[in-house]
Amino acid sequence: MEDYPEELRTPPVSLVCLTGCPELHHPISAFLHSEQPPINTLALPDFSKASVLARKKNRDPLSQPTPAPPSGILKRDWLLKHRTRVPAVVAALFRADQISGDPAQWLQACTDLENLKSLIHGRSTRLVVVLVQTQAAEELSEDVMTALRKRAEIDSKHLVEFVQNDASDLRQSLNKLASLFAELCLTYYKEEGRRIRSIIEKKSSPFPELNIRYCFKIAIYAEFRRDWSEALKFYEEAYRVLREMANTSTRLPPIQRLVEIKTIAEQIHFKISTLLLHGGKIMEAVARFLKHIKTYKRLVGLPEVDFLHWEWFSRQFLVFAELLETTAASAPSSQSPRFGTSESPFSEWEFQPAYYYQLAANYLREKRCCLEQSSVSKTDLPTKITEAPDSVMPSIHIGQSARLVEEGDIVTVLPLSDAEYVAYALAEAERFQDCYEIIALYKRAQESFSSHGSQRMACLCTLGMAREYYASDDFTNSKQLFDTVAAMYRREGWAPLLWEVLGYLRDCGKRLGLTNEYTAYSLEMAALPVFSTGFEETIDFGPAGPATLSREEIQREVLNFAVETDGDPEPVGLDVDLVSPLRSVLLVAVAFHEQSVKPDSVASLTVSLLSHLPLLFKVDLLEVEFNQPACNFSMSIPLEVSPNKWLRLTHEVKSGQSGKLECLTVKAKINNNLIICCRAESPALMEDLTSWKYENQRETYPTLDPALSLSGQKSIQVDEPNPLVDLTLNSIGPALVGEVFQIPVLVVSTGHVIHGGELKINLVDARGGGMLMSPRETDESDAHHVELLSISGLPEEKEDDLNTDLSEETKSDNIRKIQYSFGVVSVPVLKEGESWCCNLEIRWHRPKSVMVYVSLGYNPGDVDQRVNVHRSLQIEGKVPFFTNHRFMMPFRREPLLISNIRSLISPLEEKKVSLALKENNIVIVSAKNCTDVPLNLVSMKIVPEGGTDSNEKLFLVQEISGISNKCTRFVPGEEFRGVFSITPLVAKSSLSLGVVCVEWTRDSKNQDQPETVTTKHSLPQVCVEEPPLVAAIECPPFAIVGDPFSLYIKVKNNTNLLQEIKYSLGDSQNFIFCGAHVHTASILPGKEHVLSYKFVPFSAGVQQLPRITITSVRYSAQLTPSIAAGTIFVYPAEPKFSLEKNGSELVV
Amino acid sequence: MIVCVAVVGHQNNPLYLQSFTGSDDALKLHHIVHCSLDVIDERVNNPKRSASTLNETFLGLLYPTENYKVYGYLTNTKVKFIMVTTDLDVKDADVRSYFRKFHAAYVDAVCNPFHVPGKKITSNSFSERVGTIVRSFGPSMTL
Repeated sequence: MEDYPEELRTPPVSLVCLTGCPELHHPISAFLHSEQPPINTLALPDFSKASVLARKKNRDPLSQPTPAPPSGILKRDWLLKHRTRVPAVVAALFRADQISGDPAQWLQACTDLENLKSLIHGRSTRLVVVLVQTQAAEELSEDVMTALRKRAEIDSKHLVEFVQNDASDLRQSLNKLASLFAELCLTYYKEEGRRIRSIIEKKSSPFPELNIRYCFKIAIYAEFRRDWSEALKFYEEAYRVLREMANTSTRLPPIQRLVEIKTIAEQIHFKISTLLLHGGKIMEAVARFLKHIKTYKRLVGLPEVDFLHWEWFSRQFLVFAELLETTAASAPSSQSPRFGTSESPFSEWEFQPAYYYQLAANYLREKRCCLEQSSVSKTDLPTKITEAPDSVMPSIHIGQSARLVEEGDIVTVLPLSDAEYVAYALAEAERFQDCYEIIALYKRAQESFSSHGSQRMACLCTLGMAREYYASDDFTNSKQLFDTVAAMYRREGWAPLLWEVLGYLRDCGKRLGLTNEYTAYSLEMAALPVFSTGFEETIDFGPAGPATLSREEIQREVLNFAVETDGDPEPVGLDVDLVSPLRSVLLVAVAFHEQSVKPDSVASLTVSLLSHLPLLFKVDLLEVEFNQPACNFSMSIPLEVSPNKWLRLTHEVKSGQSGKLECLTVKAKINNNLIICCRAESPALMEDLTSWKYENQRETYPTLDPALSLSGQKSIQVDEPNPLVDLTLNSIGPALVGEVFQIPVLVVSTGHVIHGGELKINLVDARGGGMLMSPRETDESDAHHVELLSISGLPEEKEDDLNTDLSEETKSDNIRKIQYSFGVVSVPVLKEGESWCCNLEIRWHRPKSVMVYVSLGYNPGDVDQRVNVHRSLQIEGKVPFFTNHRFMMPFRREPLLISNIRSLISPLEEKKVSLALKENNIVIVSAKNCTDVPLNLVSMKIVPEGGTDSNEKLFLVQEISGISNKCTRFVPGEEFRGVFSITPLVAKSSLSLGVVCVEWTRDSKNQDQPETVTTKHSLPQVCVEEPPLVAAIECPPFAIVGDPFSLYIKVKNNTNLLQEIKYSLGDSQNFIFCGAHVHTASILPGKEHVLSYKFVPFSAGVQQLPRITITSVRYSAQLTPSIAAGTIFVYPAEPKFSLEKNGSELVV
Repeated sequence: MIVCVAVVGHQNNPLYLQSFTGSDDALKLHHIVHCSLDVIDERVNNPKRSASTLNETFLGLLYPTENYKVYGYLTNTKVKFIMVTTDLDVKDADVRSYFRKFHAAYVDAVCNPFHVPGKKITSNSFSERVGTIVRSFGPSMTL
């Protein structure tokens, strides 16, 4: 498209000529150019330059009496002339003062006008006179105006005043001028068109050339007017006439005639396509183009210049592709829902430039082909014709050439004969490098197709490029491109296409001297599934040759390749990996028959070879390599590999090393000149060969046993040797929380010498989860519920203190690392029969069931191989005691505690035990042995929190009863009680009473000094308050029937207020008493009020005293002694026992 | 005249390809069939088709070369049939009828118990039947 002249490529723009007043030309030109539609200006600075407008002497050929045949269809410069030299309007600019002032100036103006008029005489070019005024006030008289108009012979509206004194006036004047020009241009081009149309209509020309020319001109004029539909109509007409003329015209010699017709057709078609595409009629444009192609495809012309035809033909596609690409008209998607059906006869690609680029490239190849033939046949022609004339140049008519002959100073233009023209065209064509042009076209097509996702078309374009590079002997580029194409065909299994490409690749490899690649491509070709269909002989497969015959030939050639060139002793090595296309040449499957094997015992494996090469070949040497080089083996018996048949070889290997034994590669040496190194594949995981996957052939298995073909692996697990070591873990029942629990570990060698032994200990929660700590407590230091403390009992550690933190101890020769749940300790060298033991010390902080895993790893001898022995033991961690406590008041002593009353009123409040200030509060702690073993209780104490040495003593603790002797043994299930009295000294809403520490040991006889363990039980926070009233009942421990006794109720007022109490005593049939039944009393601050009663019991036994109720009026609190406090034992008569002996038991 | 018929499998691999020209453009026909797969891919993957054409197996004209017209057909099992003809003025109805017959022949061929699905079709009777269908194709069919 770039080869076309600019005036053809762009739509024509109206032309206006300005003359006079040069200073105004620039603003006017700029303004007109920015108008819509724009108007070009031809600015002539003064009137003397107006002669460029003069028309040359060429008259209308039809108007002459004897019409001569035209020498061409279109003139080369006609279009340019109308765009640059023939204006539609001539505007003469005069200054107002020039007209109105000096008569000499007026005369000059008149002369200039006359000149202009004579120049445009005979044309319909309009004349406009512009009077330039610097000020609006500078009015010209009516007379002058009329005179000027008459001189110029113009209408009054063609005489324009141009005021330029300020911006708004200037703008107005410019607008006026522009609209006048636009109108006049329109009229001019319309008239021109009409004039030419009338010529056609009046006399039908005997010369179709003129008809074409006129139609073309009408169309161009219509384009000037932007009347696209008329332009299209006349271009179509011109195109039609031209097509008819192709068969009839005899004006020029046939070759040049055809060239001219095609050139004109090309231009007209270009115009039509441009108009259609810019009008958004892409469907019409495509249809038009296809018609154009169909019309001219057969118009090849004489065979010696057929290359000209194909070049022209290719250019049609190229130009249309470029037009499609540049016009933004997108392919119709909404208009036609389906391509390729009767609704829409087009397919998607016909709207894509890539399609046309690709065809352009194809036809350019055709051209090159024809050109080569023409060049060859040229040498057969007589020499006088083959000489190209010296100076051939384009003639004045489009599509024609002429010869320039210089004789002295006279230059004459002579027409060319066809023979001369052919020689000239051949010489011109040979100067060009078509292949680069072809490659560029394919490249454009390929990129465009790729971007649209049409991979296969892109691939075809790449193939075109690659062929071109190959044809131009650029084998490096060619090979690279062929490789990408081959990858595509390989993937989709298009064997015949791949065959062709590989043929090229093989040749490229050969020419580039790449022996390996040449061999690889050759072998791949030989192993391709291409079969005879009977037509191969005639198919052009490029350098590959016909498929069926050459597969065998290629194999023979390659396998004997290096033998022929025996100067090169180095055999060709080919690597075949899992994705290599050479897998079809040699595929190796390796399957072990078992999944695992004992060390030093025999494992059998099957090595299977499959080749799709067409002929049988012999493998001289087969080397099988493993990841354990000791197992490598090779077979040097010649093996015959038949086509498409598995060759199965069974072999046995023995591995002394435990771990994975994997077959890595299998190397096959063929004819001493080719080594194929195949990656071994497991039959279970083997992928099908892409090229042979779809072939309808019998399926065979790589191993005899079909099950092994489905599950066989190329690797086998070699087990560890059996350990000859005893590892024993012992434990004595469940562990108790708090104690250091010892687990003895015994290692006895029963056959192996233990070198570099290492004992690993791991504690794992038996219930799973593996966490030995609660997640919330991870940040605390003693958060581990179970802790591996140390490993004791090691021979060299015996003298060490067992309590030292061994985890921080480092020894240079021994590995020893102990963490909370993990430990490593090294085991010394043990000869056969020797033993070694140690104790694991574990402490439970919480009751938990734990698995102890112990594993011993060692080297049995000098071999660098480890043997592992594992043992595990589940150990339950238990709480030794179930501890409980209870608060009480002393017997028959009841302090009034306000908080207790409050909690009765609002029971939802947090209940906290209240203790009375400076009273003896009793706490009973009970501990029950809930284990299965007897325990010795050493002591039970209440230890205040934060130690006993705090400055302020908050309360006093006194042990009332506890452990009598040093050690109290108690059996499982037995309960022990300790009684303590607590006397708070300070009133406090929250007082911590500390913890109860129970010290105990296991009751074991074999240990001399059993370890004392302290189990703690914390007491709750209590509230200490001063009771306002304390009531105490004093009563003898027992009574005797009929014997009167006294009962005192002492109520003490601890407050500074006068306290009023009410008290009452119920009746009882077992007693008679004296004293007030119901009464009130007032107690002075700090004083004690004593209610005194005398009772006489009637009946013996445990008797309930009459019910005593004391009510504090101030606190509305009623105090009723408990039933136990109101109970007394009545003897029928005076008992006979010694009070001194058992008094302590009675007084509680 | 039909110059080439092809059956293309799921991996866009050729299952059957027969050309009827006997001349040296057999490889070119391979290329044409292979490139037509691009258009099939585009038509099948583009969901712009209206509901009425959703179950349509006939894919229409795929690829206009100047000398050939290429038509496509997609079975329910996503096997593609491609036909290349030199007749530049073909009626849709003829092509549809051809594909229906071809489809029937294909179904019979793959119903053969000795045929492994997904492999190339090597049956001779299928080839013969295809040959008959191809020969009977033409403008005379519509009469």
